[in-house]
Amino acid sequence: MIERLLANLDTLLLYLFAACAFVSAALMIVLAQPMRVALALISTMVFLGGIYGLLGVHFIAAFQVLIYVGAVMVFMVYAIMLLDVRDPAYQRRYSRYLVPGILAGVAFFAALAWGLAREFADVAEGGPAAGGAFGIQQFAAAFLNEYWLHFELTSVLLVAAVVAALAVINVSRRDRG
Amino acid sequence: MDKTQVLLALAVALFALGMIGVVVRRNVLVMLMCMELMLNGVNLSLVTFAHQAASNVGAVLVFLVFVVAAAEIAIAIPIVLLLVRSKRTLDLASYSDLKG
Amino acid sequence: MGQLTLIVVLPLLGFLLNGLAGDRLGKGFVSAVGCGLPAVSFLLTVKCFLDLAAGGDAPLVETAYTWAAVGDSAFAVSFWFDRLAAVMTLIVTGVGTLIHVYSIGYMHADRSYARYFAYLNLFLFFMLLLVLGKSLLVLFVGWEGVGLASYLLIGFWFEDMDKARAGKKAFIANRIGDAGFLLGMFVLYSALGTLEMDRINAAFSASPLPAVSASLIGVLLFVGATGKSAQIPLYVWLPDAMAGPTPVSALIHAATMVTAGVYMVARLAPVYVHAPEASQLVAFVGALTAIFAATIAIAQTDIKKVLAYSTVSQLGFMFVALGVGAYGVAVFHVYTHAFFKACLFLGAGSVIHALSGEQDIRKMGGLARKIPVTFVTFLVATAAIAGIPPLAGFFSKDEILWFAFASGRGGSTLLWLVMSATALLTAFYMFRLLWLTFFGRSRMDPEVEHHVHESPLSMTAVLAVLALLSAVGGFLSIPHFLEPQLPLPAVPEALARYQTPLVAVAVAIGLAGLAAAAFVYGGTGERARRLAQRFAGVHRVLYDKYYVDELYDAVLARPLLWVSEKVFLGLGDRKLLDGTLNGMAALASRGAGLLGRVQIGSLQFYAFLVLAATVAVILWSWRHV
Repeated sequence: MIERLLANLDTLLLYLFAACAFVSAALMIVLAQPMRVALALISTMVFLGGIYGLLGVHFIAAFQVLIYVGAVMVFMVYAIMLLDVRDPAYQRRYSRYLVPGILAGVAFFAALAWGLAREFADVAEGGPAAGGAFGIQQFAAAFLNEYWLHFELTSVLLVAAVVAALAVINVSRRDRG
Repeated sequence: MDKTQVLLALAVALFALGMIGVVVRRNVLVMLMCMELMLNGVNLSLVTFAHQAASNVGAVLVFLVFVVAAAEIAIAIPIVLLLVRSKRTLDLASYSDLKG
Repeated sequence: MGQLTLIVVLPLLGFLLNGLAGDRLGKGFVSAVGCGLPAVSFLLTVKCFLDLAAGGDAPLVETAYTWAAVGDSAFAVSFWFDRLAAVMTLIVTGVGTLIHVYSIGYMHADRSYARYFAYLNLFLFFMLLLVLGKSLLVLFVGWEGVGLASYLLIGFWFEDMDKARAGKKAFIANRIGDAGFLLGMFVLYSALGTLEMDRINAAFSASPLPAVSASLIGVLLFVGATGKSAQIPLYVWLPDAMAGPTPVSALIHAATMVTAGVYMVARLAPVYVHAPEASQLVAFVGALTAIFAATIAIAQTDIKKVLAYSTVSQLGFMFVALGVGAYGVAVFHVYTHAFFKACLFLGAGSVIHALSGEQDIRKMGGLARKIPVTFVTFLVATAAIAGIPPLAGFFSKDEILWFAFASGRGGSTLLWLVMSATALLTAFYMFRLLWLTFFGRSRMDPEVEHHVHESPLSMTAVLAVLALLSAVGGFLSIPHFLEPQLPLPAVPEALARYQTPLVAVAVAIGLAGLAAAAFVYGGTGERARRLAQRFAGVHRVLYDKYYVDELYDAVLARPLLWVSEKVFLGLGDRKLLDGTLNGMAALASRGAGLLGRVQIGSLQFYAFLVLAATVAVILWSWRHV
């Protein structure tokens, strides 16, 4: 029993992580305090990172934790801490589109899930990924050979973001001064 | 119901939850986080497909999404701070100046 | 470029030079180009004519370029120079050059000197295209082109609304005729598969005849001719066309363009030979027009109007000749008419020039001694048109009268009587014009009289040349020259003996007209006044040109205007087109108003819409993909 469990540990863990990610994501909708929502999001991201790791794409898992949790969410948490906790938006959680929004979201999920069930019923699983195809080396080589233009464009995008952020800050300074 | 389908279903669910969050939550910051959740859902689907097809294109796209997410948050947070300074609230219902 | 092409293209070059650069390069340049290039054309024509004679009458043919090739049929711009075309080309370039020279003096003070010469050269280009075209299509291009040039020149002083309107009238009347012409061309093309006139003529000269009604073609083409050559019912534009400068009236509305219809019928003579019904119609319309216009001319008081109606009447003579099958004689009359009518018009221009723009013959008189050269040339041309021997008009008119009487192809005593009466009227009104203008007491304003002067040499010299040609031109027997190409109709044996008596009658008619005019208008003019009073009703009707313009206005123009305004403008344009457009605009505006309600300014509502729409798209794609 235990041995069988161990043999299928990968799969079990995968399902476990998936369930946890889903629950955390659902909590994001429900929780009132932004800080808690942020923590729920972080937990979702961490579980997703686990899933990536189980799928064998370790560097994506690493990036998930580094960039999302390490950079994006830290930024977000700071923003939350900067802002006033007594804001009315903190008490009244939901907008007036609560019911239609949830209905539409569920319909969205149902539509896609139905399509998924229909389309993927006859598709055999791709089998375990060839570890080589997802190594960091192949990835880096692909980026610098095949996708170098995209890679460069991301740097342009980042520069643009930095400039934009600076511009926004300037606007705020001017307003104050 | 195999692994791929479960993961894709999770991806769709994350995306749908993020979308619902954007629609139903009042707080601008929470909405931003829900958008991150949607991006994560997309990422998951990309990785799953890449895994299934044994191709690294999906991984490349995931990387690009990371970059976009980082850039987005770097601009969005200052904008939110500016908004809050002008209206003194995070409640999105107050921001309807562009009404037609 | 061959010489025929060169003949045609030189005036076009003049048009381009004068039209584009004339205003900048001064009057000397404009005159040199405007007169020089037509003169070169004339010399080239003479050379071609000699070539033609030397080549034993084989027509000169030249293809300038292929206009279009559709399937098996090619439409080429080709020129064809046979005897008929030679006569016409000589008239067009010769008289045309003379009138260009005359214009130097006549138009010297005009602001738009270069534009005038540009238009005149343009006219010459299209006229030569018309005359030299081998294909009916090329002829038609020239046909339309001379209409355009005529329109431009009638409305040359377009600041005057009446003159601009006269141009428009000419254009529209011509368009009505052109519709018939086009239909005729369509019928010809669908029946024969070609528009080359030599092939058409060959087809109708051969037997068996083509399986198409020659009369239908003849009538349709003749409708076009009634427009261009000012026959009933489309003649109304020609008197109004006198609004243009007088040399233009001489060149376009007397000597050349208006004879295009005659030329076209003569060119397609083999078709008309096989179309007795059409020929009868041609003769009938010609005779009617001739006498109708002659009666109007009696009562007119504008010197140019008299000449205009005289032109209409003389064109009627030509069509009578065509109708009775004497095609060569018609061309003969075209030829003599070109000389004396151009001379008359230019003489009238000289008179108008001398009187500082006065055109009313009631305010003239006694000019004979003041402008002697004009007087003498005018006298010669008047005698020529009246048919006094041995001047040019006598020969051609006499031949027309003879064939109207004796032609085996539709000649009759009645036709002869009508035409003789017209000849009498012609002599009468022409001498009336001469008398009122040059003889008797002066009725001029003292102010005008003070300034009366003879025209410059460039004008009088041209008058002298034309008067000389009017005097001796008749000795050149054009019908005989054209006979190999346009055989004269057979004359029944029984009638041949009447020829000499009829010549005497014709002479008598001319002299009778002269005498009557001298009697009525000589002396104090008291007799003319009494005559007009006694026949006041008739005089009124003639003076008002039988109220034809008013009739057309009431019967055609007004209903057309009404239909245009109420049906096309009111219903079609305003309701249907504007209504559709406004309706669409209103729909867009209302729709925008409705959609604007959606713009409530709530980001979350927009996000919800996006979500709902995405769901809809997904569901739709599951169904359809």
